[in-house]
Amino acid sequence: MELEYQYLVGKLQEALASDTRVNAQDIRVVVTGGCIHLIGEVSTPERRSAASEVAAAVLPGIPVRNELTVLDLGGGNPEPEPIATGLPR
Amino acid sequence: MIRVAAVGDIHFGDDTRGNLRPHWSRLRECADVFLLSGDLTNLGNRAQATALAEELRAVEVPVVAVLGNHDYHAGEPELVRRVLERAGVRVLEGESMTLQIAGITLGIAGAKGFGGGFAGACGHAFGEPEMKSFMWVTERAALELEASLRELHTDYRVALLHYSPVKDTLAGERLEIFPFLGSYRLAEALDRAGADLAIHGHAHNGAHKGLTPRGIPVRNVAMPLIKRPFAVFTLDTDTVRDRRTVRGGHAVEPHAAARP
Repeated sequence: MELEYQYLVGKLQEALASDTRVNAQDIRVVVTGGCIHLIGEVSTPERRSAASEVAAAVLPGIPVRNELTVLDLGGGNPEPEPIATGLPR
Repeated sequence: MIRVAAVGDIHFGDDTRGNLRPHWSRLRECADVFLLSGDLTNLGNRAQATALAEELRAVEVPVVAVLGNHDYHAGEPELVRRVLERAGVRVLEGESMTLQIAGITLGIAGAKGFGGGFAGACGHAFGEPEMKSFMWVTERAALELEASLRELHTDYRVALLHYSPVKDTLAGERLEIFPFLGSYRLAEALDRAGADLAIHGHAHNGAHKGLTPRGIPVRNVAMPLIKRPFAVFTLDTDTVRDRRTVRGGHAVEPHAAARP
């Protein structure tokens, strides 16, 4: 079963990358304790929900724990970072 | 001082419409130019490019961009480029441009770049045609980046990329995918031609800061990493007179001053 899971994780990551509602290549998929864990960050709540739907469709019957967070861009302008410049590089 | 705002990996889509406009409308307060380092859209289609172009209308400073791999997904990168350019965005691919900012010239050389890996663990243009094609894309991108930097005779030069030129800014990503995140050939091009700063995206789980072997600062501005609508870098222009003497007077070989 463990070997099978490795293939299933690959298939799910492929689906998360190609599904037009998600298109995320950096969602970590972990199958443990009989559950699929989706870990990482997405841009919107819609993409977060869609990731669960994709997981349920690709791996039916396995509970999905959606641990994705939605990117929070914070408020205010960022602190500028000075770049050291001397003579031409 | 030149203030450079930058962000990449916006992955803009219908569901993100309006999220960035309030932040970007304040850019003029803290930046002279806004650089976009690729993956501007999620799928690279007309609808997403148009929505992003609309969002960018809030920006009141010059906007310069390179495309990323997501902007190629629909097979219409030229369309994405045209839509953005109609909104006043300058899109660079193996090209450069010059901006005048308070009497100082800032040159920007832009290229998407490509993967291939890093010295000691990289692909080679050897064997099957597919492998050769893959590496030739990287090699061409590096050559174009070098040429576009060399054609800039500006006070300061910034390289804008999507893929990473160094491993430093990939720390945090899985080692197995490094060859898909960048190539040392891009760093080699930067070091040969010289630049004051290199900016890239693509590595959402990477690190903020790095250096090329010759010491050019590299910054990863992928939005999921910086968790801001943009980052700001300042280039100190106090040394501009010395730079002009070095360049104009041919006192030293160009860029020799930065050599160790």
